Amino acid sequence: MSDRQLKTPFPERAHAALGDAHLQEALTIATTKFIDLRKEAFADFPAGEALRDRARAIKEATLQGLDKHLERLADNIERLGGHVHWAATGDEARDIILRLCRDKGVRMAVKSKSMATEEIELNEALEAAGVKPIETDLGEYIIQLAHEKPSHIIAPAIHKTKGQVAELFSKELGGRFAADPEVLTAVARKELRQKFLEADMGITGANFAVAETGTIVLVTNEGNGRMVTSLPRIHVAVMGMEKVIPTMTDLMVFLAILARSATGQKLSSYTTLVRGPRQPGETEGPEELHLILMDNGRTRQIAGTLREALYCLRCGACLNVCPVYRQIGGHAYGYTYPGPIGILLTAMLKGTGSVKDLAHASSLCGACKDVCPVRIDIPRMLVELREHIDSEKIAPWGERVVFGLARRAMSSPGLWRLGAKLGRIAQRPFVRSGRLRGLPLLFGKWTRTRDLPPVAARTFSERWKELERP
Amino acid sequence: MTTRAEFLGSIRREMDKTRGLFEARSASRPADAGGAFEAVRRQMAERWPQALECFREEFERVAGVFHRVARLDEVPGVILRIAEERQAKTVLSWHPEALGLDLRGSLGPEGLSVTVAPDGDPDAATRQRHRDEAARAEIGVTGVDWALAETGTLVLVSGRGRPRSTSLLPATHVAVFDRERLLESLEQVGIMLEALHTDPARSMSGAVINFITGPSRTADIELTLTRGVHGPKEVHAIFVEGR
Repeated sequence: MSDRQLKTPFPERAHAALGDAHLQEALTIATTKFIDLRKEAFADFPAGEALRDRARAIKEATLQGLDKHLERLADNIERLGGHVHWAATGDEARDIILRLCRDKGVRMAVKSKSMATEEIELNEALEAAGVKPIETDLGEYIIQLAHEKPSHIIAPAIHKTKGQVAELFSKELGGRFAADPEVLTAVARKELRQKFLEADMGITGANFAVAETGTIVLVTNEGNGRMVTSLPRIHVAVMGMEKVIPTMTDLMVFLAILARSATGQKLSSYTTLVRGPRQPGETEGPEELHLILMDNGRTRQIAGTLREALYCLRCGACLNVCPVYRQIGGHAYGYTYPGPIGILLTAMLKGTGSVKDLAHASSLCGACKDVCPVRIDIPRMLVELREHIDSEKIAPWGERVVFGLARRAMSSPGLWRLGAKLGRIAQRPFVRSGRLRGLPLLFGKWTRTRDLPPVAARTFSERWKELERP
Repeated sequence: MTTRAEFLGSIRREMDKTRGLFEARSASRPADAGGAFEAVRRQMAERWPQALECFREEFERVAGVFHRVARLDEVPGVILRIAEERQAKTVLSWHPEALGLDLRGSLGPEGLSVTVAPDGDPDAATRQRHRDEAARAEIGVTGVDWALAETGTLVLVSGRGRPRSTSLLPATHVAVFDRERLLESLEQVGIMLEALHTDPARSMSGAVINFITGPSRTADIELTLTRGVHGPKEVHAIFVEGR
């Protein structure tokens, strides 16, 4: 996200999204469809609930032996002829790739969809270094041509209509193309096929990496992940270190629930298991394979409050069900990872200060936790984040003062009763037709779009005393 | 630059700080991968007919086209029909050794141009030539390592004479398999993969294993399902009953 966009405060970004009728329609259609597809996929799959528990246990067990699994993964990749790089920060990960490009004379790199490379804003860095990055996932390709950012983890261009895409292709690729997904997909196929064959480097993320076999796992529907790992002479995979899993048996547990959670498919069209560069006897495959293991703020959370967010598979299910995401879409969040899990990941990568508004962009309804394939307790962590934002004095002073007073009042019965009495008097000018409306000052924001029941004339305990009288 | 020792050192320092974690174990694996592998083979020697029915249903659900022939020598006829319907002229196939079938003799005289993948350890020029031919081919013919009934998935292991792009670059992919390839569940695939990686006798030589579930697809424009965005637009599976 560019600095310009982040200078706009979150409430304004959200407000703009709410006023965008086209975005509203696209969001409703997309998220509703994803919700239905996921629901059907799990309804047909009685083993699913137990597999989710197993998947969660595997993620936790892996974290408990993370150092060991990463060592094993690195040893196996090196044994198979690959190279492993250790990047403590996003900057370092970028530098490693830029150095590889320079050393190997890379001019063009084809990319399959990867949130890890979005996270480190790799495309901008490559362009600045004179390397042409080409996104090959259709959605990513569209937003790259439009100079935008993904608005959904797995459907990056859901905010665009076919008409907008046709216009974009016509302008950027030269030609006049009908606003028909079939036609537009064919255009992209032709355009990108040539790029796959010409590119020097293929860049991917990794959905998983199996420590025991040294296998990098990519899940795609379009087949671009296969192209990118087969045709260019160098394959670079950028992976958050928490994506390691111990064994092939573990992998099967995740495969059984990942696509169902994301798109409602039993499996995505392609699951590609890559084990080293081209092996002896093979006709195809890259000469070199590089795996970049990236920390970028993750280690801090191993013993931190966001530990569970390290389980995340990046399926996007929590976005679709979130009442906030469904209203404002991905861009309004302002960072690489949107939605409920995105708030936690942003806090992990950029620090708690970056989510002082976003931490409140949740109704804590728990829908995200219900659909998460590994049952991440997102609402609990959001509450803890809010607590941290308050205790570290990151929250605005007005908010801290009001909540500070509220805490004092709530922890002392005398003060509470006094507060209720004062409230009854103070509210008088604002009660209309039995509801509190149009509160002044700081409280005005609360009643701008909703009303409140007024403080009752008598409290529950006062009424209870009356009832107790014989 | 961060070294491996520094990177892992900082992870270990944080791991030492964690307290009171709940007990968690990863998935339990077969103790004897080779034995488990043979057990699955024995089960499937009995249960393949049900698995085949299930495979067919799931494969068709993901827009695969299922064919069934009695003998291996009927396979070229099916491929020829597929080529004719699509007015395709160029066929790319795995090496006859890997496919169990040499299509040059049967499809060549019918006017199709058939290229087979090189065997042995191809040199750079041979590899480049094959890549150019793969990029031009309209139909790619491969074998199958496992046909997974639960999801209608074809699992293909790359290696000598079995290039990974045969099932990727041509617009139509045709896969040939028999009863011995059928598996019921992802769990069984896990057992096979464990054995493949641990048992030297079954060790794989290629770098890539692909799970293919239907044709290439996208829904990135207005969530409208569109096939053949980068990989094949069509996937055919030919089941051979006899040997």
